[in-house]
Amino acid sequence: MHRRRRQTTANFSEGEFDLSAQTVQLKDMQIMAELAHPEPNLAGEHKPLSEKILIRNLDFFYGKSQALKNINLTLYGKKATAIIGPSGCGKSTLLRVLNRMYDLYSGQRATGEVLLDGENILSPTIDTNVLRSRVGMVFQRPTPFPMSIYENIAFGIRLYERLPRSELGGRVELALRGAALWDEVKNNLKASGESLSGGQQQRLCIARTLAVKPEVILFDEPCSALDPISTAKIEELIDKLKAQYTIVIVTHNMQQAARVSDFAAFMYLGELIEFDETTKLFTAPHDRRTQDYITGRFG
Amino acid sequence: MVEHTTRAFDSDLQELAKKILYMGRSDDEQIANAIEALLKRDAALARSVIAADDLIDAQQRDIEENAIATIARRQPMAVDLREIVGALRISNDLERVGDLAENIAKRMLLLMEGFRIEEVTLQLQRMARLARDQLQQVLQSYEHRNVAVALEAWHKDQEVDALNNSMFRELLTYMMEDPRNITFCTHMLFCAKNIERIGDHATNIAETVYYIVEGRAIPEERPKADLTSKERMPGSSVTPGLHEKPRPGQ
Repeated sequence: MHRRRRQTTANFSEGEFDLSAQTVQLKDMQIMAELAHPEPNLAGEHKPLSEKILIRNLDFFYGKSQALKNINLTLYGKKATAIIGPSGCGKSTLLRVLNRMYDLYSGQRATGEVLLDGENILSPTIDTNVLRSRVGMVFQRPTPFPMSIYENIAFGIRLYERLPRSELGGRVELALRGAALWDEVKNNLKASGESLSGGQQQRLCIARTLAVKPEVILFDEPCSALDPISTAKIEELIDKLKAQYTIVIVTHNMQQAARVSDFAAFMYLGELIEFDETTKLFTAPHDRRTQDYITGRFG
Repeated sequence: MVEHTTRAFDSDLQELAKKILYMGRSDDEQIANAIEALLKRDAALARSVIAADDLIDAQQRDIEENAIATIARRQPMAVDLREIVGALRISNDLERVGDLAENIAKRMLLLMEGFRIEEVTLQLQRMARLARDQLQQVLQSYEHRNVAVALEAWHKDQEVDALNNSMFRELLTYMMEDPRNITFCTHMLFCAKNIERIGDHATNIAETVYYIVEGRAIPEERPKADLTSKERMPGSSVTPGLHEKPRPGQ
């Protein structure tokens, strides 16, 4: 099996990258092995929760209007947290704070604290490029760049690191495998990223995010433009990625939130109304507003 | 409660609740009939109870199919999910109650010629009255989603259990007094046990109603006063089985 893989990859080495076994570093091999055999959830249950991101007294403003009101929330490491709530409740805004995406626009500001491994990412001294490599984001609509599948991923890596060409190939493969896309595109890496189906494009974007080795991945409605089968593939992928990464997913699809997340937060009108384990939030929520929303009773 | 944005979901749930209540009333009627058949030695009435059990079984299947279809169509969450799972559980309990009423009717047919002690059947009637009260109360708590009423019914099970205990002792005395009583009393022992089980199912339903409303189990330990399965026969030399823990002081 192993030999065969090397043989297939050898066919590509004549192209723009070389994929001999040495180029895939030992650490990467471990990650690949873990991705192929993620630890069973049962063992995971007993692990103590680590507090990857602590959000403290967070307020957010678009100009004068306040979009987030005193948010206090803990995002646990290597767990998936879903953020749900009606349109305009601030869930996407919260996501955009977590990697300082709002910095790109003037007039938007956040106050309070967001601690990533204890470091306040709202601090002006934070290098947002480094932050965004640690906290990757996948958007609602797939956004492949108008270049080859290979380049779509290599491009992102080159933004952050200088890798020898030979190593770059290994990293691209790893990212594509991590995003469960490798088998579908390995014979066609030179094809345009835009030639892929919507679901494949979205997984390409996930691969692009994985390629820079993030710690946290933010998903903003990642399946809203996809058909049910592509959606199932992305959900399956998120389930695998949990073994490695801290996941935060914003979704309108309640069933999806219930399926993929370990923890769930309900937001309404810029406030965090309820945060709990997903199984509890969806079977016996405490707050009447949460209950009305998840049961479809919102006026 | 506020209505769903999709009104059809509301009518699905209302329909399900209506079916549960109808099934519960059928059960109650069959318990009453089974006891009346016993008291009046009415074989025709006993046979009608046996026939009615098929209808109750059909009601349970109907509720189950409705519940499953609603889950598939609406993907219920939170209180809606608890409503539907609750309906499934309650219909199961009610189906068993129907079986227990049928059992009493069957025993009545077996006994036809062998009735002996009037006092025992009257006692059985009192016990059935109590179990029916409990069942009716629990159905009422379901109809109005009333936790207080559910808890009241839940505690009533102790009374049914206590009556079963005293009946057990009485029947043993009758059997020891005159061996010709043994067949009749054994049947009555089983009838009493059936009624005691009806009380247990009503108690289950009270717990389900509590779960539907509150989203968690009743925090107290279940009241248990049924000792008949623990008590040793007077004068028997049989030691408790190995699997039974001897009670302190025994």
